[in-house]
Amino acid sequence: MSEVATFLAHAVALEAEAAERYDELADAMEVHHNQEVADLFRKLAKFSRLHLAEVKDSAKGIDLPHLKPWEYQWSEAEGPEAAPVERTHYMMTPYHCIHLALHNEKRGHQYYADIAYKSPDADVRKLAQKFAEEEAEHVVILEKWAINIKAPEPDWDLDLDPPVVSD
Amino acid sequence: MNAPCQLTHQDFKSDVKPIWCPGCGDFAVLSSVTKALADLGKPREEIAFISGIGCSSRIPAYTQVYGFHGVHGRALAIAAGVKLARPDLTVLAAGGDGDGLSIGGNHFLHACRRNVDMTYIIMDNEVYGMTKGQASPTTQPDWTKSKLTPEGTGISAVEPVRLALAAGANFIARGFSGNPNEVARLIYEGIQHPGFSFIQVLSPCVTYRPEEREWKNLVHPAEGNPSQVMAEAMHRLAGDDGFSTGVLFAGNRAPFKPPSRNVATVTDLERKFAS
Amino acid sequence: MVGKSVSVALTGSGGAGAMTSGQILLDAASKAGYFGLMTRSMGPQIRGGEAAALLRISATPVSSLDDHYDLLVAYDWGNVNRFAAELPLAKTSLVLSDPEHGAVPDAIALFGARSAELAMKTLAAEVPGGRVNMIGLGAAAVLIGLPLEAVLSVLQDQLGRKGEEVLASATACLKAGAEAATKLPEVARLPPSKADGSVRWNISGNEAAGHGALKAGIKFVAAYPITPGTEVLEYLAPTLEKTGGVLVQAEDELASINMIIGGSFSGVPSLTATSGPGLALMTESIGLAICSETPITIVDVMRGGPSTGIPTKSEQSDLNIACYGMHGDAPHIVVAPNTIVDCMFSTQWAVYLAEALQTAAIVLSDQAMGQARNVVAKPADAPYVAKRRVAAPNAEGYKRYALTPDGISPMAIPGNPGTNYVADGLEHNERGTPSSQASDHHSQLDKRARKLEMFDYGDHWADIEGDGEIAVVTFGASTGPVQEALERIRAKGGKAKMISLRLLMPAQTKNMAAALNGVKKLLVVEQTHSEQFNKYLRAHFDLPPAVKVLSRPGPLPIRPNQIESIIADWK
Repeated sequence: MSEVATFLAHAVALEAEAAERYDELADAMEVHHNQEVADLFRKLAKFSRLHLAEVKDSAKGIDLPHLKPWEYQWSEAEGPEAAPVERTHYMMTPYHCIHLALHNEKRGHQYYADIAYKSPDADVRKLAQKFAEEEAEHVVILEKWAINIKAPEPDWDLDLDPPVVSD
Repeated sequence: MNAPCQLTHQDFKSDVKPIWCPGCGDFAVLSSVTKALADLGKPREEIAFISGIGCSSRIPAYTQVYGFHGVHGRALAIAAGVKLARPDLTVLAAGGDGDGLSIGGNHFLHACRRNVDMTYIIMDNEVYGMTKGQASPTTQPDWTKSKLTPEGTGISAVEPVRLALAAGANFIARGFSGNPNEVARLIYEGIQHPGFSFIQVLSPCVTYRPEEREWKNLVHPAEGNPSQVMAEAMHRLAGDDGFSTGVLFAGNRAPFKPPSRNVATVTDLERKFAS
Repeated sequence: MVGKSVSVALTGSGGAGAMTSGQILLDAASKAGYFGLMTRSMGPQIRGGEAAALLRISATPVSSLDDHYDLLVAYDWGNVNRFAAELPLAKTSLVLSDPEHGAVPDAIALFGARSAELAMKTLAAEVPGGRVNMIGLGAAAVLIGLPLEAVLSVLQDQLGRKGEEVLASATACLKAGAEAATKLPEVARLPPSKADGSVRWNISGNEAAGHGALKAGIKFVAAYPITPGTEVLEYLAPTLEKTGGVLVQAEDELASINMIIGGSFSGVPSLTATSGPGLALMTESIGLAICSETPITIVDVMRGGPSTGIPTKSEQSDLNIACYGMHGDAPHIVVAPNTIVDCMFSTQWAVYLAEALQTAAIVLSDQAMGQARNVVAKPADAPYVAKRRVAAPNAEGYKRYALTPDGISPMAIPGNPGTNYVADGLEHNERGTPSSQASDHHSQLDKRARKLEMFDYGDHWADIEGDGEIAVVTFGASTGPVQEALERIRAKGGKAKMISLRLLMPAQTKNMAAALNGVKKLLVVEQTHSEQFNKYLRAHFDLPPAVKVLSRPGPLPIRPNQIESIIADWK
């Protein structure tokens, strides 16, 4: 990551993808009548959009390149803060939700920290360092939040009804 | 840098909320399709998205293009009709492994050999989800979790990409829902490749096949560049483990286009009957 | 012996060329200013099977076979038992056969007709490259009084390009047959033709259906071959190509029906043609077209059923599946052409209705019309063309399945901006979003029924002729014999009304009540085994108290005298 513009394009995509994924998950939870977790995902989406606005603010005046989705250089398949869908479940609890968010924020922090360490460009390193610190703050906030949430019962995913047939 | 596209992938999403189970790979395919379409840069009204019946076949309603949610197994026939009648439209079809390879199997074979310029995505979860988890054509013979086949099907599974190659598909790729950006690329390239493009997306069913969550540890990029020669691709796919992702074959067969000239009026034709 | 018309059967097997000679005879009759009808009866063999060309030639238009044949020319007797029942002969008829092939078989002899011998094979052998069918054709032409010049002129047209030798050989045979015929017993002769120079058409029902589709503006056809519907598709393949349309051969009927649904969804008027087994395969998707309100037209050329049944012979027994085959409540259009040339109008009208009403239309033709040729006066042009109610660009708050007063909702065509929607075979709300709510189901069912009920179908719903207390109600190819029977009754001073239903679905209850007003006795005429049409009538209409049914399965066509005698004997 050697250019500020490219770096910022990634930062924008990272938050945008995170917000979008949280919204998608909130929708899915609503469809499955898990309103408590839906509300949490919605809140997480809102936070991500706030961060997105901040990143966009940092990018003001800079002409960001348009990258196709597969042209982004992520360390994993997707942007580090996009919640992995396979870690969700229709009966998931706030505990799972917050820990999933924590997982994402940690990955986000790691992503920026790596760039802050590795990028050949001083400006990029500087910005990445700033973003990494912000992500670290998010991690701390979420960790505090997580402390107050009780771990679920072992049978949290027990559904008394069988799946239904649809079409 | 690329030309800026006017619409974002969000513009290609509808406000209908998917009924898919949280965790389902199909969410990622929806995201991949909308991303590919956004980068394609065509207006929404010039795209038709056709499906059959099944969980994954619900996908057109979640997008903002012209769509047709048809009957079970016939998506490719409807899609071919759209493209042949209106060659100006970009046509996509999608559905599940049962829809496309069991009840729609014959259409799949003939769509591959007919080579109409369109793109077909099978969201493969190796199970029938909407009817409570029966074995599909891509289910392994020893899978015993279905009440319908409690001893397993005892029938070897279909390997969709090998079938597509043998039948004559002009572009063959495999993706994994856990990597939606790569899937978006495959769809984007498939749409732009002339002729019939087939994309198998491994898309886990977390409800009936929870073990498929492990697929993320099994997938790996296909080695080398995509074959352009059928014999080479045959050889390569013969040894394939079913988890390699990327473009597997990119042929150069010209797309099917039935002849049509505008050289006579209906009245002209009536001379044949007159005596 | 000069009658109103003359009927001739030409039979043969093993490549004798019965169909070719029949075709030439019909063309020659047309050339000489006559009207005519030719049906065929074929064995199941792909080559060399027994075949009969069944002709009726007349100075006035004909749309029905006669009660019997005046002349049977048998080139040989191969497998004649298989279709002897389709060759009724009168005592005055003449059977002309070749002594080479032995005596007249019992199945033919039992009619008690006169017989005569003509050594066709021997005569043909005397001409280099000679053929028995040309000997027989020459004899038949002379016997019925058709000018030989007309036959020679057709030969010139058709064989001229095959080279002089072929033409000379055929001409020599024709003349030899004509010469020999002068020594044969007389048969019924044609009346003088009333040729007035007006344009005649020589057309088959399957060509007519295909042409009607073109006239209506069909531009996309998906095809899967099936007897006896294939010729509709074969007519359309080159003609669509020339007129800027497209025909594609599908992998099966499941594909062909869905391809035309796709074509129509994209805004292009689309059609397919099939026969009973194909229609059965298509029914699920016809329901899809109805539920998704995607206009399509299916021409079903009926043959004997059930199952593979009798592919080469006619029956009207797809009535039930065409009207009631779909699962769920699936209002749609069923149009039954009632003459060969009406296959054109009815198909054209069906396409118009399908497009105007955004539903599926089935054209119920049959083998007897589809594979028969008719020489007729040039049909009048009908004004019916495919025209849909479409959505405007960027129509505000667009709802594909909006609940409009007349039940027809503007359809958005791909390419139209701002109105994208997803067509759905799942029950849906006005927007098209799948819904299992009772209110959505009821309102959408209502609208799909309402649009068909409220539409003004005009006078084409039936052909009604004559009046009186006795009426005959029929449909499709059974109409011809009914029409002729009633003409005979009227000629004898009797009175009777004919009601031939063209629009079978939606059933025209009010119109039918008006048509039956004052009718005391009703004869139902149909070609099915289980009285499908009678049951249809009883399900939809109030019938007079006295009802008789003439219902017989294929492959034997209904003859005018059967209808005539039922009415004559009905006290």
